[in-house]
Amino acid sequence: MSALRLISNRTSQQALSNSDYTWEYEYYEYGPVSFEGLKAHKYSIVIGFWVGLAVFVIFMFFVLTLLTKTGAPHQENTESSEKRFRMNSFVADFGRPLESERVFSRQIAEESRSLFHFCINEVEHLDKAQQSQKGPDLESNIHIQEVSRSSGTLEEDLNCLTKFNIPNFVNTERNSSLGEDDLLISEPPRVLESKMAMQSSHRILD
Amino acid sequence: MSTETPSNLIKHAGQTSIPSLENITDFSLNITDCNQVVVPEEVFFTVAAAGILENLLVLVAVIRNKNLHLPMYFFICSLAISDMLGSLYKTLENIFIILCKMGYLTRRGDFEKKLDDAMDSMFILSLLGSIFSLLAIAADRYITIFYALRYHNIMTLQRALVILAIIWTFCAGSSIAIALFSHEVATVIPFTILFPLMMFFILCLYIHMFLLARSHAKKIASLPTSAVHQRTNMKGAITLTIFLGVFLCCWAPFVLHILLARFCPHNPYCACYMSIFHVNGTLIMCNAIIDPMIFAFRSPELRSTFKKMFCCARYNRNW
Repeated sequence: MSALRLISNRTSQQALSNSDYTWEYEYYEYGPVSFEGLKAHKYSIVIGFWVGLAVFVIFMFFVLTLLTKTGAPHQENTESSEKRFRMNSFVADFGRPLESERVFSRQIAEESRSLFHFCINEVEHLDKAQQSQKGPDLESNIHIQEVSRSSGTLEEDLNCLTKFNIPNFVNTERNSSLGEDDLLISEPPRVLESKMAMQSSHRILD
Repeated sequence: MSTETPSNLIKHAGQTSIPSLENITDFSLNITDCNQVVVPEEVFFTVAAAGILENLLVLVAVIRNKNLHLPMYFFICSLAISDMLGSLYKTLENIFIILCKMGYLTRRGDFEKKLDDAMDSMFILSLLGSIFSLLAIAADRYITIFYALRYHNIMTLQRALVILAIIWTFCAGSSIAIALFSHEVATVIPFTILFPLMMFFILCLYIHMFLLARSHAKKIASLPTSAVHQRTNMKGAITLTIFLGVFLCCWAPFVLHILLARFCPHNPYCACYMSIFHVNGTLIMCNAIIDPMIFAFRSPELRSTFKKMFCCARYNRNW
């Protein structure tokens, strides 16, 4: 760094026996660094720094996995009832009857695929997973990925969402023209948004 | 930054001037205690070239594919540019040193000093650009999750470009200021405080996103897939750790070097840490190689663009 160079220049001006030498010795121009009488190993800072860094990264990893573990999945009984409850609340929010959980889970899959630009890599796996009522994100890797489906598939399923302009980057031209209008209509978004957010977050981090 | 190995230069200078042999012997005892750890120039240039090429590929792919003209990819491009600058800096510095050794450039000329200042500011620009690009990427993802339905209106293309312009102007100004005033103590402290602050902020953003993902997973997970569920959340933890761990491991050694050089240059322990300066520089170039892999190449669209580019090149070559 020029910081070191400037310091060395100043100190080297006192020792002008050979200007070529003083430039090269810039790290060692700080006066003779005596290595006698060292209590600890001479590379102790290096070792301590790297060990500390490794410990910090591992600690961070364990904190994150602990966050995972505290969110352990529920039992199967409570799970299905939860899903039904969720579906009902979904229905109540949008005032549109959803025929079955299958439709609901398929909608979630559609939403997640078409509404977020952070999508799961194995979309096909998700479809299959949806059939068995698994969460759409359980076999996902985190991949930054454009949405491959248009929001048209979503429009078929949910009337309320036909005008939403969720990030759909394949059809940006079409969506951008609808940008302003969409959000005027989108007033169910409060509940929907939180659900969307949850799905997309799970995709990003998986 | 002329950080040549003293041993090489002693040999070089020793041939030209005899009276300073005492200087050599005076210092040799101290120097051999903590020698500069040398990274071969071939390794340097290979790593730097790989970093530059990879990031250039990312830039070309994003420019060529219209589907990738999105805020998210612009931020990734910004990261690629800052990584490229870092590798470019190291390459130029090595070339500079080689030219000095061959005698084409004097060590004390004004032009060389200005060149050195320019290269220092390029390096600081690269570091600041990396930090702010990572911050922008994290913020973009955060908005995508927590403001999903309004994302398109919050993060328009124009706003993304404006944000990038502001970031890079700020980084350029700061880097020039830091390079010019690097002898002041006051410049080093904000520089080194900025680094952990940004890391902490990015970590908080990602943890918040992670918590939301976890609560979502809690709601829809089912027992048969509980093992799978655990595994995918583990993947989230691994991903986050990789994001931040790579950045930390690649940049923190150098930042610590700057701190030690400022505050305890005479201490033997600090001097021993500073002797691995070249390794720290190589780590920064490794960061330039790893960053596209964990940010850009995760996108299937980008990967397919690469394939198209290479397949087209092969196709054209066949014909």
